[in-house]
Amino acid sequence: MPPRLQLNALAAFPPLPIVRLRVQFQRRLASSSTPDIYDVVCVGGGPAGLSLLTGLRNSKITSNLKVALVDGQDLQKNRLRKDASLESFSNRCSSLTPASVKNLQEIGAWSHAAQARIQPYQEMQVWDGISGARISFDWDSARPILSPRSPTQPTTIAYMIENINITSTLLSRLEELGGVHIFSSQNVSSIALGTEAPDVDLSSWPVLTLSSGKQLAARLLVGADGANSPVRTFAGIPSRGFDYSRHGLVATLKLAGPGWGGPDHKIAYQRFLPTGPIAMLPLPGNVASLVWSTTPERAAKLKALPESDFVAMVNAGFRLSATDLEFLHTMSSGQEEEVAWREQHTSLDTHTIPQKVTAVQSGTVASFPLKLRHADTYTGERVALVGDAAHTIHPLAGQGLNQGQGDAAALVRTISRAVQTGQDIGSVLALESYNSERYAENNAMLGICDKLHRLYSVESGPVVGLRTWGLKAVDAVGPLKGFFMNRAAGGV
Amino acid sequence: MNPLRHTFISRCLDTTPPSTNPLPEELRYLDIGCGGGIFAESAARLRTTASVTAIDPTPDVLAIAEGHKRRDPALMTKGKLTYLNTSIEELPVPGSEAEKFDVVTLFEVLEHVNAPGPFLESVISNVKPGGWLVLSTIARTWTSWMVTNVVAEDVLGIVPKGTHEWQKYVNEGELREWFAEKGGWGGNGGVKAMGVVYVPGLGWKEIPGGEAWGNYFFGVRRDG
Ligand SMILES: Cc1cc2nc3c(=O)[nH]c(=O)nc-3n(C[C@H](O)[C@H](O)[C@H](O)COP(=O)(O)OP(=O)(O)OC[C@H]3O[C@@H](n4cnc5c(N)ncnc54)[C@H](O)[C@@H]3O)c2cc1C
Ligand SMILES: C[S@@+](CC[C@H](N)C(=O)[O-])C[C@H]1O[C@@H](n2cnc3c(N)ncnc32)[C@H](O)[C@@H]1O
Repeated sequence: MPPRLQLNALAAFPPLPIVRLRVQFQRRLASSSTPDIYDVVCVGGGPAGLSLLTGLRNSKITSNLKVALVDGQDLQKNRLRKDASLESFSNRCSSLTPASVKNLQEIGAWSHAAQARIQPYQEMQVWDGISGARISFDWDSARPILSPRSPTQPTTIAYMIENINITSTLLSRLEELGGVHIFSSQNVSSIALGTEAPDVDLSSWPVLTLSSGKQLAARLLVGADGANSPVRTFAGIPSRGFDYSRHGLVATLKLAGPGWGGPDHKIAYQRFLPTGPIAMLPLPGNVASLVWSTTPERAAKLKALPESDFVAMVNAGFRLSATDLEFLHTMSSGQEEEVAWREQHTSLDTHTIPQKVTAVQSGTVASFPLKLRHADTYTGERVALVGDAAHTIHPLAGQGLNQGQGDAAALVRTISRAVQTGQDIGSVLALESYNSERYAENNAMLGICDKLHRLYSVESGPVVGLRTWGLKAVDAVGPLKGFFMNRAAGGV
Repeated sequence: MNPLRHTFISRCLDTTPPSTNPLPEELRYLDIGCGGGIFAESAARLRTTASVTAIDPTPDVLAIAEGHKRRDPALMTKGKLTYLNTSIEELPVPGSEAEKFDVVTLFEVLEHVNAPGPFLESVISNVKPGGWLVLSTIARTWTSWMVTNVVAEDVLGIVPKGTHEWQKYVNEGELREWFAEKGGWGGNGGVKAMGVVYVPGLGWKEIPGGEAWGNYFFGVRRDG
């Protein structure tokens, strides 16, 4: 007998375990040698940090701030090669929303991107692996009833792009703008408050010591340093959340063709399975990017399979029932034959699911643990957090990287306003508007994605009926879809 | 409050009528009654500022201002921000028109002064032809009486009890009249006012017409 689930059980999940990261207060004084003084020191040259610096350098109002970038990695080495082949793609890709793209255009970066490696998509097929209820998104069906689509209305839902393409693009733009003091391949070894001398009093200024021994004092220290942010630790800002006990399995896939809509109408697919969503996102040509959230055990199992069995399992993930999939994961070998046999007994409308995967690009199958984390605040005295340093999110809606882009743009606005009114850009008062603008927005997005994850983790009972009804209802009402798509597209 | 001061100053400068004496690209400020230096510091950080001279006769507040200034190396550049422990009456009047200031500011001082007329005379002798005097104060009305004596001091506790004497407040209309009678001031659209109100939780907000009944900014340009 299936477990009975009360309707109100949805609202009555047990209290979330709170993970308090151990935070060391490093409020001791830095050594007495005089540090170089900067207005902004950004730790982390990932998508969020680079976008922030590009925004600051691009604007007339903020371009005379003295800025530095510190990253432990070699930023030049991690760049997309100009002659990179269109036959192979990185397994770390993101779905950039039109809002993020617009911001990249505004800061003059987008034109530096390797456009041939970016794949816009125009349609999204999302369905429930248990009930089969389906919702399809495209701007055409989202238009208000009876009104024709205006020629200027966008048709692109989002753009699939390799993360390395984003960071290389931003680095190219930053080089063009110039004026950033870059400390690449240099780790931050410690952060401490400065000292008080007769001429200047740096006792409220963070002073960074780099692995090279160099010291930098920051009027504003920006933590764009990822999920384990050393800047956040220095500021004593707690970050709370929980682990999903799920892994995100990624891979670059070769398909039988360019997709059912051809090269000019690309489709993204996402199927909700009880273990988590499996998504296939289109890349140029016959290539697609896989993100499969699943249990750590299943992720380990999938990673260990020979290529042909792995390919069969991905195809099964979009086609076979949850029960079939459960069984397939228990088999020690022979998934390819088993999937072929079971598929014959499953009726499928092939055009509503992705084209068949034929191969996987070697070396691209990888997985990482999924976490939800949210810092208590994004700002402190002379500190601001952006991107994963402030929040990490379930990859479900592909919003993580976009949130970081939104953070960067908002922080640039806050800094601009502070500069225009002569405020100290590191003061809590000046930074307040950044925190209030972004915190609630990100928190809402974290909440939506988390609730979706939980909703779809339920295999039977009234909730399945409820979500089926929900998907069908949304699908039937065009304008409502427009609303949801606007949210997914970043509110453009 | 402080960002609004810049908003208002920009509004004054942006509407400066074409003149034979255009103000320079980089402005020289005189901040009278600078207190802890909140405005003086922010003015000194602006890209369009050549220098800020900030004066206050109270030694204690000036010590606080000096201490705070040392926390920002950008302000320590020589000549950028200079504090002087003096009242405006004792500050030597600049020897020539050219040595006078482009912008003279007087924030939250007028309401503490016993004789506003003579005091304003000392203030305006420091304004360059074509330059602006910008001040903020509070009108003497029933609303401001309530706000000052009941709300700000008792309820909100924003200012210590007894800080303000309502009788000393100067109204916007009185300032306009005073400058009109004086002559040589506020010609060609060179008078501006802006009412502001403190909204708990939001801070200071501009409120159209508020200059008639509460806190307000007043800007007047010396002709030339
Ligand atoms: C293993 C993994 C796989 C992922 N795969 C995907 C995916 O397939 N698709 C997707 O959309 N998202 C994926 N994500 C999430 C995505 O990478 C992040 O959302 C995004 O990169 C966040 O950008 P960011 O700029 O905030 O931080 P990051 O990209 O994490 O950048 C942080 C930077 O800070 C630097 N840094 C950190 N500490 C120090 C220090 N002490 N000194 C100097 N420098 C330091 C690091 O070198 C790094 O360059 C993945 C995340 C992880 C961890
Ligand atoms: C209420 S405080 C305002 C401080 C500051 N302008 C602000 O708004 O934060 C008024 C200041 O005016 C100063 N003051 C009073 N009479 C003055 C005078 N004649 N000349 C210059 N300053 C004076 C006082 O010392 C006091 O610090």
